[in-house]
Amino acid sequence: MAENGAKATVTLTIDGVEVTVPSGTRVIEAAEHVGVVVPRYCYHPGIPTRPAQCRMCLVEVEGRPKLEPSCTLQAADDMVVNTASDTARTARQSVIEFLLVNHPLDCPICDAAGQCMLQDYAYVTNQLESRVDEPKRIMGRDRISDDILYFADRCVICTRCVRFMRDVAEDDSLIVAQRGDKAYIDTFPGRELDNPFQGNIVDVCPVGALVHEDFVFKARSWDMDATASVCPGCPTGCNVTIDTKENQIVRVKPRHNAAVNSWWMCDYGRKHLVMTNRGVRAEVPLIRDGGGDGDDGGELRPVDWATALDWVAEKVAALGAPGGSAVVSPDASNENLFYLRTLLDRLGVADAAFRVPQGETAELPTVPTLKLRADRAANAAGAGFFGGRRADGPPDGPAGGALVVLDDELEGAGEDFGGSADFFLYLGTRLPGPARNADAVLPIATFAEMDGTFTNFENRVQRFHQALRPPGLARPGWMVLSRVLARLGDGEAVNDVRGAFERMAAQAPAFAGLTWDGIGLKGAPAAGSAAEAAGVAGPAEAGA
Amino acid sequence: MSRRIHPAVVGAQPFQLTARERFDGPIFETEEGKHRLEAALSRYPTKQAALLPMLGFVQSVKGWIEPADMVEVAEALDLTPAYVHSIATFYTMYNKHPVGRHFVQVCTNISCHLNRAEEVLHRFLAETGTREGEISDDGEFTVIEAECLGACGFATVVQVNDRYLEDVTPDRVPGIVENLRGGRDP
Ligand code: SF4
Ligand code: SF4
Ligand code: FES
Ligand code: FES
Repeated sequence: MAENGAKATVTLTIDGVEVTVPSGTRVIEAAEHVGVVVPRYCYHPGIPTRPAQCRMCLVEVEGRPKLEPSCTLQAADDMVVNTASDTARTARQSVIEFLLVNHPLDCPICDAAGQCMLQDYAYVTNQLESRVDEPKRIMGRDRISDDILYFADRCVICTRCVRFMRDVAEDDSLIVAQRGDKAYIDTFPGRELDNPFQGNIVDVCPVGALVHEDFVFKARSWDMDATASVCPGCPTGCNVTIDTKENQIVRVKPRHNAAVNSWWMCDYGRKHLVMTNRGVRAEVPLIRDGGGDGDDGGELRPVDWATALDWVAEKVAALGAPGGSAVVSPDASNENLFYLRTLLDRLGVADAAFRVPQGETAELPTVPTLKLRADRAANAAGAGFFGGRRADGPPDGPAGGALVVLDDELEGAGEDFGGSADFFLYLGTRLPGPARNADAVLPIATFAEMDGTFTNFENRVQRFHQALRPPGLARPGWMVLSRVLARLGDGEAVNDVRGAFERMAAQAPAFAGLTWDGIGLKGAPAAGSAAEAAGVAGPAEAGA
Repeated sequence: MSRRIHPAVVGAQPFQLTARERFDGPIFETEEGKHRLEAALSRYPTKQAALLPMLGFVQSVKGWIEPADMVEVAEALDLTPAYVHSIATFYTMYNKHPVGRHFVQVCTNISCHLNRAEEVLHRFLAETGTREGEISDDGEFTVIEAECLGACGFATVVQVNDRYLEDVTPDRVPGIVENLRGGRDP
C-alpha cells in the first residue's frame, strides 16, 4: 500500500544482520528472518492478540533508553536491534528468575519436560541456583475439560490458552482468575470447557501446565518420534505431527499450514487419528485356493505374500475382463486408489462405490479453511478422481464377475455378501465378517503405517509419512497392488512411495505435473483445481 | 426499596440498607435490581462496562458475591459467567465468601499502624470472638485487615460496611461492637 507515501518494506538491522521485511512486521517476526528466535511466552504467531505481558521478548534498540517488547514493536527503517545484549539478557534472566520463584520444578514428572520453554530458557539464562528462601506457593491441579488437566503451579500466566479460546475460537469460557502470584487459569466454577477445538490450548501452552489427560505420564519427549502427517478425520486434511513411542501413537499435534489449518486442528481429529490405528487387524494374506488341510479345500488359508500374489494374479489373468463392481474406502490414499483403478480397468469394472460416514460439523470462527466437515473421511476427493461413485446404504455384491473391496468395513452388508461373484478380492486393514466370504484377503497398512497422499476438500494433495510399523505381514496397498499388476506385466513392483506417486502423476490427469518432492510438507493443489490458483505461501515456521 | 438513583452511584448502597437487610434470591428480578441495571446501562456505551457497578451492587445487597450471582450478572450483561468470575476474583474487595452482617475492615497501613491499628484489630477480633475473615457465631460480624482506606489523617480508620469510623482507639472497640450488635449507630 502506497497510501500516504507509506513504504511497502522496511530495512533494519537485527543482531548485526540487515533484513528487509514488509512494513508492519513486528521485530520478533523480523528476527526469525535472520534466524533469531527471541524468547517468548505470551506471543504466539497464531493468536492475534499481543498483550506484551510476559516481558520475555525484551530487546535493546539503539538510541532508545528502555528495552522494548519485540512482540509488539514494529520494525522500522534504520532500527538497530540487539536481542542478545547484556541488558536484554539480564532482563530475560530476571523474568525467568521471577517465574521460577513459585515454579515447582517438577520436570522429572512433567509431560512437557524436554519440550518446555521454561526449561529451555532457564538453561539458556543459566539459573543454576535459586536465591529464594521462602516456601513456594502451592496451588495444585484442576480439570479444565473432560480430557484436559491444568497443573496450576507450572503455569506462567502467559494467557495463550485464554486468548486462543477467546480470540481464535471466540469462546469466552476460559479465564484468568485472581491476580498476581495467586492468578490461575479457570473455567466458571462447576463448569468445564466444551468446545470442539479446545485441545489446541494444550499445544499453545509453552510449559507443562495444560496436558491432555490421555497423554499424562505416557511418554517422555525424548523417547518419542515425530512424523509429519495429515489428519484423516475429514476432508479438511489438517496437517499434523504424529508422536509415537514403541510403535504406538501417543500424541497428535497440529502442524502449521497457512493454507489449510493454520496452527490448529479439531478435537475429533485428534481422537479419531489415534483410534483408527487401534483394534484387531488383518495381518496375514489369506486365499481360498483349495489347498490346505480342509477336506473340501474351500477354506481361507494363510499363506505368504509370494503365494498370495501369484495366486491372485493368476485368477485375475484367468478372469479376463468379466466386469463386476467395487467398493472402496474414501479413507484410502491416492496411490492406493490409483493402483486399484488400474486393476479395476483391467477387470472391466467401471463402478466403484464409496460410502462416506457423516457427522456434525464444527467451525473455528477465525480460520475459514479449518472446519470439521460433515464427511468423515480423508480422501473422498481422491476417490472421486479415480471414478468412484458416492453411495449410500449397505453395499451389495455383483451378480457375477469380479468384486473388489478396498478397505471398506462392509457395514450393513448381508451374510452372503459377495457370494455370487466369480472372484471376490478383499484388500483391508481389518477383517470384518463379510470379508471372510472373499476368495483372497490381502492385509494392508493404515495411512499411519505408510507413506502416501490424500486430496483434501479443496483438491489440495498432501503428503503423509509412515509413523508406525504395520502389524504382521500387512503392507501398503500400493505396494501390494503394484505387485499384482507387475505379475500381469503391467508396470513395476514399487517399494518406495515415490515410484507409486510418479506412475500416478504420469497416468492420472488430476496429478499431472506433481512430484512427491515438489508437493513437500505443505501440499500442493491438484491440477486444474480451484486451490491451484490460490497458492498461499506460509509464513515463517519457527517458534510456536 | 425503590428510589430513583443517579447513575454515577449506581453500584453503591447507603449504610443503613446494607447493615439492616440482606437480600437473598434473584437480584435483577426485584424493582431495585431492575432499576439499578437500567441506570447503569444508561451510563456506558457497552453492557460489559456496567460489570463493576453491578457486582458492587450485588455485594452491597447480599454482602458477598456467590457463583449464582455471577451467572445472574452475566446473563443481565450478555457476558459469560466465566468472564464475570475472572473479574470478580481479580478484585479482592469483592467478597467471594459470605461475611457477617457487619463487615469490619480495620486499616493497618502506615498511618493507622503508627496509631495502634494492630491493637484495634485484635480488640475487634477478641470482642467478636472470631479469627480474621470468619463469621461470628451469631452471624453479626466479620473482621478483616485492610490496606490504606484513604483517611490517614484520622488514623486508626475502621470501615463498617460502607461507613467510616475515624480515630478509633482500642478502648472504643467494645462500645462499637456492642452498638452494632444492638442495631444502634456505632
Ligand atoms: S496454562 Fe499454559 S498457556 Fe495457559 S496461561 Fe498457563 S502457561 Fe500460558
Ligand atoms: S477439521 Fe477435519 S482434518 Fe482437521 S483435525 Fe478435524 S477432523 Fe481432522
Ligand atoms: S512480552 Fe513479548 S512475548 Fe510476552
Ligand atoms: S493508613 Fe489507614 S487510612 Fe491510610
